[in-house]
Amino acid sequence: MDSTQFNVKILSLSDKLFRLAKSMLRNTEAAQDAVQDLSMKLWEKRKQLDEVENVPAFTMRAMRNLCLDTIRKQGDEDELPAEFEFVAPNPHQQAEQKDLVGRVRDMIDNLPELQRTIIRMRDVEGMEISEIAYITSIKENAVTVNLSRARQKIREKILYEQKYVEANIWKE
Amino acid sequence: MERINKLLENYFKGETTLAEEAELKQYFATGTIAPEHKPYSALFQAFGQEVQQQYTTPMTIVLPKQSSGKRMWVRAVVYSGIAASLVLAVWIQRPRQEEDYAIIRGRRIDNPEYAQRYAEKKLNAVNEMLRYKLKPLMDAQALKDNLRNVDEGENDKNQIIE
Repeated sequence: MDSTQFNVKILSLSDKLFRLAKSMLRNTEAAQDAVQDLSMKLWEKRKQLDEVENVPAFTMRAMRNLCLDTIRKQGDEDELPAEFEFVAPNPHQQAEQKDLVGRVRDMIDNLPELQRTIIRMRDVEGMEISEIAYITSIKENAVTVNLSRARQKIREKILYEQKYVEANIWKE
Repeated sequence: MERINKLLENYFKGETTLAEEAELKQYFATGTIAPEHKPYSALFQAFGQEVQQQYTTPMTIVLPKQSSGKRMWVRAVVYSGIAASLVLAVWIQRPRQEEDYAIIRGRRIDNPEYAQRYAEKKLNAVNEMLRYKLKPLMDAQALKDNLRNVDEGENDKNQIIE
């Protein structure tokens, strides 16, 4: 793979790679570093990329593995427990985050890593279940289950917050 | 409305196709949303916002190791560019005609004839010096040429005798 092919096939994926890294690492600068790091690594191994059948999926998978390594090195300090329970926002938080869209993004960020990665690959990037299965190295059935769980959790949180906000409005 | 309810139900079960999900996104993007669907509007808006996130840092890839032919071509272009820049810089910074002068032994000389005579004198001195220094080499070369002529003459003589 020469520099032109590399630019077309790899660097054109930079936005997708960045979004995946940001979703996993939940930090813009760390995500930018991860994209840069991966680009360099792939450039060094560009000859082997000629043998890869689906370069975009392979690259996304490499990005996910790199981010998982980063998370492991951080000792999972920032990672929330898998069964993280939604806590209703207090009035101060509500004042800070009146924007429900922003709250939904926070809800997605607070999902376990696999679920937030899958829901974003599907609903933001519009990927097929088979592609997500390859990138996350799990079976298609497991992707569907995790996707459903992620969406259900977000739905519950949205409805819960809606009720909470309405109840407080009536109190006032 | 029934259709949207069914799609949403399947969506939360993870059973919708990409086409059906596109239909839902389209519905929530139009603005005419039924009151019972309003809570989910933020969800689809959030996805719409996230897809606009872009990687803004410029990629810095190490210059590729290309084939020697390409490398030579790149070098030629780079060197030509540097040479052109130097020529341009000299041209821009050259002294104007009325400011021509020479510095001889630390003194500014504005008289062009004097400067020219001085330069010629120095060049003659260098010429003489080179002639003196190179004379032994030139003599050695002349001797070598003469010896070669003698050798060739000997060969011709031997061929005639044979």
